[in-house]
Amino acid sequence: MNNNKSKHALLSVSALALIGAMLTPAVSWATDGETVIQEKCLSCHTRTGNPDAPYSRISEQRKTPEGWQMTLHRMQLRNGLVLSSEETQAVIRYLSDEQGLAPSETAPFRYVLEQKPNIVEDVDPAYAEMCSRCHSNARFGLQRRTEGEWKELVNTHMAIHPTTELHALARDRRWYDIALNETAPKLAMDYAFNDAAWKKWQTMARPALQGSWSVSGFMPGKGDYSAILTAVKIADDKYSVTMIGHYSDGSELRGNGTANVFSGYEWRAGLMLDGVSVRQVLAASEDGSSLTGRMYQSAHDEIGGDLNAVSGNAIVGLSPSALKQGETSRVTISGAYLKGSVNLGAGVKVLKVLSRDADRIVVEAKASASAAVGMRDVSVGGTKAKALLAVYDSVATIQVSPPQSLARIGGNGGKIPKVQSTYRALAFSAGADGKPGTDDDMRLGYMPASWSLKPQNEVAEEDRDLEFAGTIDSNGIFTPGDTGLNPQRKMSTNNVGMLKVVASVKDGNNTIEGESDLLVAVPSYIKRAIQ
Amino acid sequence: MKHLKSFNKKAKMLDQTTSPDQVEEVVAMQSVVGCTSTNDPGWEVDPFGGLGSLCQPMESDLYGCADACWWPAQVPDTMSNYPDWSQDVSKANEDWRKLDGIFPEEQK
Repeated sequence: MNNNKSKHALLSVSALALIGAMLTPAVSWATDGETVIQEKCLSCHTRTGNPDAPYSRISEQRKTPEGWQMTLHRMQLRNGLVLSSEETQAVIRYLSDEQGLAPSETAPFRYVLEQKPNIVEDVDPAYAEMCSRCHSNARFGLQRRTEGEWKELVNTHMAIHPTTELHALARDRRWYDIALNETAPKLAMDYAFNDAAWKKWQTMARPALQGSWSVSGFMPGKGDYSAILTAVKIADDKYSVTMIGHYSDGSELRGNGTANVFSGYEWRAGLMLDGVSVRQVLAASEDGSSLTGRMYQSAHDEIGGDLNAVSGNAIVGLSPSALKQGETSRVTISGAYLKGSVNLGAGVKVLKVLSRDADRIVVEAKASASAAVGMRDVSVGGTKAKALLAVYDSVATIQVSPPQSLARIGGNGGKIPKVQSTYRALAFSAGADGKPGTDDDMRLGYMPASWSLKPQNEVAEEDRDLEFAGTIDSNGIFTPGDTGLNPQRKMSTNNVGMLKVVASVKDGNNTIEGESDLLVAVPSYIKRAIQ
Repeated sequence: MKHLKSFNKKAKMLDQTTSPDQVEEVVAMQSVVGCTSTNDPGWEVDPFGGLGSLCQPMESDLYGCADACWWPAQVPDTMSNYPDWSQDVSKANEDWRKLDGIFPEEQK
């Protein structure tokens, strides 16, 4: 049990479980991992004699690297398993490669691997009361088990968490019968161990990830960025990584670290980026042409943003992604090896090229007052990107992203840090029908906004949540209040609260506002690789 | 029900949570990944989608959650998995700063 250190340190080290072993020599992971299983796991698990499923329990499950990591930890915590760091990583690698998930199997649930905050899931009612009262849908959606193994999981819950039966509404229904005879068979159908996707993925050529990648992304507090990511192979499925580029304000971005690749496509990298420890959780496309996912601060995984990388010469991003009719603006085109003249489409004139770097071109561009409203392809020489730039007449609506969010109080001398929440203002124009909120609305992309808070309802106003629950800065980063009892509040209530986050976007002489809900809650004392 | 009148604040809140908008709000907040949807009385939100019926301040009843393994994804359960979590902190409402988190996937 690791309950005597700060979250900051723990999350950093936790990340190393997957990105680690940086200093270990290149070895045959597959051989090593299986040897460790035979030497360390078979004192409880048994050989079945079946070459297709050689080890009891173990051979009837498939999981992500994080899933196997959690399993190994539970075995160490509860069942006396003792593994060195190297052995742990060898087993995670072996099982992820031999009994992992195919790209199509992880696609619906990548947000949880990416530690993406403020995700609202649409959970099948069959699982909502049985599983999702504690777990995310992703927790079980990222596992594949035989029906017998799903049934064993029910019993494991009874052994480890006896109050499961209360959570599963045992007072009102025959929950155990339902779990065994309805839920487990459904899980075995929906998340089947023997799935063609994994069998097919095992026979496919693995994406080659060595080389240069053209990267675009967003980091709260810093803004959009572009970079060239270079991956140099240092061992099987292990790369030395460098990232060099720019934030949209022109400041430099520079970092380096190491990446491990599991199951042929699961990229887990740890970098020091401008002095801050960050993680990348990315998935390589099956053809190896792209890497997509999220980069976030190791110590505050809520502070992060999407990252998209394309192999070699490509345009990968545009900032800003919309120009108003008659407007002159600085536009950054992100991409690698961009050569030749910049074309932003009909009615948009490139007045001046302000700078050219390996990762981007910055131009001054003007949309004519008569430019047609709509999307434009963008090209640099022979490199093209479809429908990347919007020309618009006016901003009609602002959506605050995310629409539902959660922050958690912390700090104040305690060991649990605050969990912040970050926001962006997503703009839309009304489209050809002139009516906002209809199907033809045009997405203009994220726009700069000024940020404010207000009480979510009358109770929040009466309880003065605005005064106690936290503050939001000019970058749209909300910092919750201090944890602990607050004698200034009724009954010394914690600094929890229900707020609305308000974005105000300037469009000419108009100001358009959007809102989203924010719950400032008490801390969570538990953090798992898959929530 | 029409002859019954809400007598106290909690009863009034119950009456007020019947609008469809509020129901949607409650469902959404309960479904944010990382939050429990066991709202009895609730860790992040109460059964009414608010905060008024939570145990507050939470430190005053924290061990009532931990000992009973009531929110095992948010509060370490001292019943089964983490029996020593709070052993050095007899009063959570006084010494809450000493309580640490559980981050089990750390590997050495």
